[in-house]
Parts: sequence; structure tokens; C-alpha cells
Amino acid sequence: MQNQQLIDHLFRHQYGKMVSILIRIFGLKHIELIEDAVQDTFAKATVQWRKKVPDNAEAWFTTAAKNRVIDLLRKLDADKSRIEKLNYSASAIAFNNLFEKEEIQDSELRMIFTACHPKLDPKDQIAFALKTIGGFSSSEIATALLLKPETVKKRLTRAKQTILKRKLNFELPAKKQLQSRLHNVLEVVYLIFNEGFHSNHNKLLVRKELCGEALRLTKLILRKEQFRCGASYALFSLLCLNSSRLGAKVDENFNSIDLKNQDRSKWYLPLINLGVNALEKANEYPDFSTYHIEAAIVTEHIKAPTFEATNWKQILELYKQLEQHQENTIVSLSIAVVFIQLNEPQNAYLILQKLEPNALEQRSYLFYGVKAKYYHCVGNIDKAISYLNTAIESVPNFAEKTYLIKKRDALLTV
Amino acid sequence: MKDFMLIFIGKEYTDLGLSPEQMQERMGKWFAWNQKMQKEGVVKHGEALHPEVRQISGPNRTVTDLTAAELKEIVGGYYMVKAKDLDHACKIAQDFPDYDLGNTVEVREVLVFDEM
Repeated sequence: MQNQQLIDHLFRHQYGKMVSILIRIFGLKHIELIEDAVQDTFAKATVQWRKKVPDNAEAWFTTAAKNRVIDLLRKLDADKSRIEKLNYSASAIAFNNLFEKEEIQDSELRMIFTACHPKLDPKDQIAFALKTIGGFSSSEIATALLLKPETVKKRLTRAKQTILKRKLNFELPAKKQLQSRLHNVLEVVYLIFNEGFHSNHNKLLVRKELCGEALRLTKLILRKEQFRCGASYALFSLLCLNSSRLGAKVDENFNSIDLKNQDRSKWYLPLINLGVNALEKANEYPDFSTYHIEAAIVTEHIKAPTFEATNWKQILELYKQLEQHQENTIVSLSIAVVFIQLNEPQNAYLILQKLEPNALEQRSYLFYGVKAKYYHCVGNIDKAISYLNTAIESVPNFAEKTYLIKKRDALLTV
Repeated sequence: MKDFMLIFIGKEYTDLGLSPEQMQERMGKWFAWNQKMQKEGVVKHGEALHPEVRQISGPNRTVTDLTAAELKEIVGGYYMVKAKDLDHACKIAQDFPDYDLGNTVEVREVLVFDEM
């Protein structure tokens, strides 16, 4: 079992690299063929490694990828434009150079920008990015995104069709479009992280891997001078600060622990420091983003030695700032929660009245949870229980359900 | 350890009439050679060169387009390697895959003027 986990982890990390390098050599139009070739490699490795994973697995993959170059050249023999690269006696040197660390990162970045291309349907982007860059399987993606596996497969197919139809090329964006394309990428990375951070299903591993993948991608983006800006550093800061709390969010039985009851000593200091430094760096750049504000909000929570010591007034200010940039139901809900913490339930009520829970789709239970909080705060226990029941009915994942049931049962005994 | 340049000179694969299979086999040999050099830590970097050649010559700087086909020999690429001496660098060059095609390797030490 341990071995299988290690193999899965290795594959996830190598898959995106191999696919990116091969696409760079052969072009996006052969993406299907390339994915199959890489899958094949992994299938072979799984058989070979059942007993023992080789010490230098990384090198094994590099060799395998080079062999795939040769195989694909053979397969694509009909494609004269590509085979030309083989005419030069020393062209192997040029292929080899694409396996240098710098170049691999460059290929991976091209893949990220391709996956987050504005011509792709936003719905398809995350699934496609997770598959091609993160090396997650369709079923893992389905689990992570709370989707049916068929839906994920459909999205992946549609993304690939769009790439072919719209003839996307495998390049980093030109200077003119750099800012808007970069923001598109950051958005997708942010969503990938949130999927990992908020979806408390029992597959803790996949959750952590999603957060880890988002962090890895942001680091990759920050390696390139032209992608360094306030927004990218602020996003990195936000992801580090949130990741620092991952270990304290659930107990050993995968039960959610809310912020109030988290053991703050479990928050991981090195990541906090990294996040704080990144936010300072972000502030050195002229551009400003919602990630700056979100990182500042998390910083407030982290600064508080206890839940009771939280500076809710400051947090309210930050949320109001966030609302000006990006008005959505989740932000409004958060503001309502802060009002309840500040013991101003009337203000929370005014916000809740205006919200449409269906806008939250599979997270509508959050709305009912906050409603319950409000009624609890004003002393209407019956209504609080009834809203918790609604939340329990609409919550899609087990850990959250357990958490809400516990909360309700505690009220029943009041 | 000194730096040496291995310069690969000869004909291009297509001009030699190699089949795609033969080309792929050679590709494999090149990859293997590179891997061996990397393992030994002797290779610094290398590049392959486009076969398109423009020659500039004479006081008038006359530019001549030469296709690889007209040239018997063309520089196809190079590797920079680290070696003890010329003999050692020649030893590294033993694994060049294309001797059998009549291609050659020129081994040259990089000139460095150190302070006396």
C-alpha cells in the first residue's frame, strides 16, 4: 500500500512534466497520442515497480520520456513537418536540452497557460489543468471537484477538442496579453487550491495534494521574472498562510474542526513565515489584487493568539474592501459571520435577507449554516435547529455533515 | 579540469538517405551517450545547429547561401565537456554515434588566459 502511494505520488509529479515536454516537441495537435504514450509508460512502471521502486525514479522517467520521443517520431512519421527535426545529425542534442531543469519548467509553464487559455470553457480549465499539469486521474479529479467521473471525462474531451479546433499554440503569452493571461492562470490555481482546502472528504490525501499542487504551480510561476507581480506574490502568500492551517482543520477521524476550536499551536510556522514574506513582497509591486485582501484577512486570524482575541473590526474592514472588488455570495456570507462575531446580528440579518442560497450551488449548506448561527445568536434555538437540518440535508460531503450534526445535537440539548 | 569543445562535422542524416528507423536508432545512441556523459559529470552543455549555412567572405563581405547538400561537410553541433587533457577529451568523444557514417569529431581545448 505504502508503495502504491509512493508510485501514485511519483506519477502525479512526472506526468505533467512528460506531457509538457512531449507537447513542446510534437505540438498540441498530438495531445491525445502523447497522453496515451505517457499513460503507457506509467502502466509499464507500475508493473515493474510492484516489488521495489527504483532509487532514481526521476532518472527512470527522463529515460522513459526520451524513449517516448523516439516512439512518437516513429508514430508521427507521416507528419513530415515534425520528422524534419530529426534530419540533423546532432538534433538529439537539441531534444536533450529540453530535459534540462530550466526547460522542463518552461514547458510546464506553457502547459499551464494552455490549460488556462481564455478560449477554453472556464469549467473545463480546472479539470484539464489538474489532468495535464497535476497528473490527477479522472476519478481523482471527480472526487476532488465533487463531480461525476463522466462529467470530468466530458470536460477533458471538450478541452482537447477546443485546443484542436481553435488551433491553440504551445507558447507563453505575448507581452500585450501577459497581464490578462496571467490573471486567468492565477484564478485557476486559486480555484484548485480552494477545492483542496474546502472539500473535506475522507480522501485527505487528494485534498492535500490539490493544495500542494496549487502551491507548486504558484512557485513555478514566480520563478519567471515576467510573471512576478503583486497578484502572483499575494496569491502565493494566501496559499501559504491557508496551507499552514491544513493540519489543524481536521482531527484524526477526518472530522472538521472550525476555526474557533482549532489548536493554534498546530499551525505550521515555516509556511506562515513564507506567507508573511510573500505578502511584503507583493506590496512592493504597483498592482493590487483581491489576493492581497484575502491574505490580509488570513493574516488577521493567524495573528490572533486565541479565537477570542481576533480583531473582527479589522477583518470587517478588509471584507468590505474585498466586496468592492468582487461581490459574491461567499464574501457576503463571510461579512454576515463577522457581524455575528461582533455581536451585531441585525446587520448580519440584513445581508442574509438579500442572499440567494442557490447561487452557492453545492455549497448552499454554508448559507443555511450561517442562518443557523444568526438564529442561535439571537436566541431562537428552534429556528437555528431547523436551519441546521436544512444544511445537513444539502451538504455533499461526509465530514461536513458529521460536523453539522454535532452542532445540531448540541443545540437539541440546550 | 579544462574545457573542451567537441565539434561534430559531417553530412546530415537525410542526405545520407537514412530511413526513419535508422534515424531513431541513432537518436537513441545520442541520448545514451548524453546520459553517460551526464552520469560522469563531464558534459557542460551542447547545441545542435540548423543546416542552413550562409557564408560571408572576402573584403566585400560577399554572402553566399549554401545548402547542406552542396557541402560535403557541415558542422552539425557541438558539446562542451570538462576533461583532464586532450587525451581524456578524445576518450569522451569515442562514443560519438556517427563515425560509421563517415562523420567526424574535432576536439579542441578552450583557450583560457590565466594570470601569470
